[in-house]
Amino acid sequence: MSGGTYLVAAGCTINDITGKISGLCTAKGSIHISINYPALVPFFVLGGGALVVLLLSAVLPKRPYRGLWAGLTVAAGVGTVVDGLVQWQQLNGSSVTPVTLGDQLFYDHMGAFFAVLFGVATVAGAAISDGYLEREGLDGPEPYVLMLSCSLGAVLMADAAGFVTLFLGLEILSISLYAMSAYHRWRAASGEAGLKYLILGSLASAIFIYGAALIYGATGSLQYLGVVSFLADNALFQNGVLLGGMVLVIVGLGFKVAAVPFHFWSPDVYQGAPTPFVGYMAAVAKAAGFAGLLRVLMLALPTLESTWRPIIWVLATLSVVFGSILALVQVDLKRMLAYSSISQAGYVLIGLQAGTAQGVRAVAFYLFTYTFMVIGTFAIVGVLQGRGEARNDLSAVRGLASRSPWLAGAMLVLMLGQAGIPLTSGFLGKWVVIEAVLGQGQYELALIGMLGAAVAAFFYLRVALIMFLAPESPGAPAGGAVTLSATGGPGAATAGGGPSDGGPESSEPGDSGWAAGAGRAYSGSDLQAIVTAGLSARDRALALRPPPHTRVRVPAATAAVIAVCVVFTVFAGVSTPVLSWAHAIALPWSA
Amino acid sequence: MDQFLPILLMVVLASAFAIGSFIASKMLGPRSHLHAAKVGPYESGIAPRRELAARFPVRFYLVAMIFVIFDIEVVFLYPFAVMFRQLSTFGLVEMASFAAVVFIAFAYLVSEGALDWGPGKRLGSRAGAPVTRSLNATVRRVARPGTPPSARPPVLVEGASTGSGAGARGLDPVRAGASGPHGEEG
Amino acid sequence: MSVPGPWYLGLAAFLFGIGATGLLVRRNILVMYMCIELMLNAVNLTFVTFSRMLNDLGGQDAVFFVLVVAAAEVVVGLGIIVAIYRRRAGATADDVNSLKG
Repeated sequence: MSGGTYLVAAGCTINDITGKISGLCTAKGSIHISINYPALVPFFVLGGGALVVLLLSAVLPKRPYRGLWAGLTVAAGVGTVVDGLVQWQQLNGSSVTPVTLGDQLFYDHMGAFFAVLFGVATVAGAAISDGYLEREGLDGPEPYVLMLSCSLGAVLMADAAGFVTLFLGLEILSISLYAMSAYHRWRAASGEAGLKYLILGSLASAIFIYGAALIYGATGSLQYLGVVSFLADNALFQNGVLLGGMVLVIVGLGFKVAAVPFHFWSPDVYQGAPTPFVGYMAAVAKAAGFAGLLRVLMLALPTLESTWRPIIWVLATLSVVFGSILALVQVDLKRMLAYSSISQAGYVLIGLQAGTAQGVRAVAFYLFTYTFMVIGTFAIVGVLQGRGEARNDLSAVRGLASRSPWLAGAMLVLMLGQAGIPLTSGFLGKWVVIEAVLGQGQYELALIGMLGAAVAAFFYLRVALIMFLAPESPGAPAGGAVTLSATGGPGAATAGGGPSDGGPESSEPGDSGWAAGAGRAYSGSDLQAIVTAGLSARDRALALRPPPHTRVRVPAATAAVIAVCVVFTVFAGVSTPVLSWAHAIALPWSA
Repeated sequence: MDQFLPILLMVVLASAFAIGSFIASKMLGPRSHLHAAKVGPYESGIAPRRELAARFPVRFYLVAMIFVIFDIEVVFLYPFAVMFRQLSTFGLVEMASFAAVVFIAFAYLVSEGALDWGPGKRLGSRAGAPVTRSLNATVRRVARPGTPPSARPPVLVEGASTGSGAGARGLDPVRAGASGPHGEEG
Repeated sequence: MSVPGPWYLGLAAFLFGIGATGLLVRRNILVMYMCIELMLNAVNLTFVTFSRMLNDLGGQDAVFFVLVVAAAEVVVGLGIIVAIYRRRAGATADDVNSLKG
């Protein structure tokens, strides 16, 4: 060890041989750590909220009264939103202020924007969890504590100014999500989902932090600004270690945002985990992962842009293409939404690939609008699936238009939004993202994005069409299904075998009856053939089952969330305040 | 040589404590007349062919997990101790709030009964219906032949949910048997 | 006398590889956790080695956080395993198969 000095805090250095401390902190023999408390308010609100819930659950009698935990969580989420907006006002467009806790956190527009996003997701997630947990007999303080700490980790990721802080945020977020995924204790699939998520997520975390270690070794700094200033001053002739580190970091974060080919955990986890938590997770984990990725790539590694842009190009293309195509053949609603969210991640990656300020703002807008759409969608799936998550297949939405027109209308808007139909925020989101890559002359990527959207529109519209099928079909003897295969078009023709014996491959005695009946009732309209195109024979039968007979009960808080999500999806699609807000983000780098 | 004296003393003290504990427990503990046949798996005298895997109650894992977490928190105390003087009041406040966070987690654990040693009835009863293994034994409870299906511990499997109505049927005993994580709490 | 830094880096990379391979190959969940621990400890070794080679304490700071995170991860994992054990008999990854994929 030769004598080196190192920085302990701003303006304070210590010689590691003599132990001599010099700089600002010598004044009173103490280290002066500058802390910008306004920047930390989201952490105090979210972390404090989690601790208050935990402490109250310890001292209050069990089950104090319904909605207390959810209410506290919603309050903490609202506090985060308000504080994010206040931060936004105070920052007033000033950009780089890497500030607080020994330069570990940024205090900037981007952080404030994402704090608002995570606050919104917390409010919505807690509000829709309340009714779900009550229905499943799972209510307790734990999910809310986990949700708050997850949001804390997400804000930390968005604010991180170095790899260690990013890793810490990533892990706080991920570990909370592992436990949330496994929370449904009566459902075997939930435990499995948690376990799978944990093992694969830990692998991703290890890969990420190994990448960070390699970048540290190559540049001598764990802080983004340290990395970028080192790379600006030194031309690396052998940057294999740096490139390896960058690739590993991209892989690790790509895992978290479920980009193909690192997506394979996501359908299983989405299918198994409790539905409202999935909605929350889809919004928060993705946004936080992208916030981290944005900062790492745009802020720390802009000099390697020529290397990482092709990587992101590949990830974006694969995600859009495979996400859309694989979603086509899913009959489980939550699995389908998992693949849909993979393809949505692809669009965000398209925006990131542009590598410009315009692209970053497009990404921010996309993520913000997607938060509302995905939480609203999963809120509706959560109420439709019935107790014990009994019905997750496509047929759970069948006939919703006549059973519960409002819910069907809400689902329709959210589906159209995710499909990117004009007059919804999803359209505007895809538009700005594709505009950003077009600005960079990436015509192929823009084309792939548009084609992917066309494919994706099909499976979103399938859900919408199934909602408008009549809920019940008059029972008819076997034979009607032949009509189905006859009118089935390409989808039915490729299914192989053909459902000539009523409900094929199905052991349920009722299957042949209703499959046949359904086939007869709609054989003239081709509607059924359209909604089941691309599914295998068995899945087709599943998708056309009659819906559950139970009345759909929507808890008030869930209904409010759904309403807000729908209104926001339309509002952000037909007017521009949200878009101009995202476009006003002052970026902490000069791009 | 001087500098090794404390280490030597430490070794002697540690060994003395360990040996002393053994001797004390032999002398003070209740006498038992255990011999090989008595502690074997079959008292009838059949020698087992191979060693059976040791069985730990689930409680063992709970305590181990709690220990690991609180143990690892101490990691942050060492850098703090090294920099104690330089950090002065700020560091003290910082560590106090860190300790408070850990303490709240601890309070939660106590209230959940995770540290209630002794007969594990309390925790077992509140854990809800579909517990096929109790907290104190890893032996699986199996329904006797002829037991009505509704009395069997319900396990929800994904396959059941695609059958018509099976999901609802499987869940009902759960609702009847337990009212959630904090059921049966006074 | 002292072992040169790159050797440590090679060792760390090797350990990381063993961990990653084990995680993907082994079926016992507890062994999989050990593999995760191995990977994270390989990362720690990398950090410490770089920290020494660069004469910078930042890497050693990182080790603290990686250590704590590794412990937290494994504890949550054990908790999930205990919850699964209560429901079913086995605990190998092959038993956890009611979700396809």
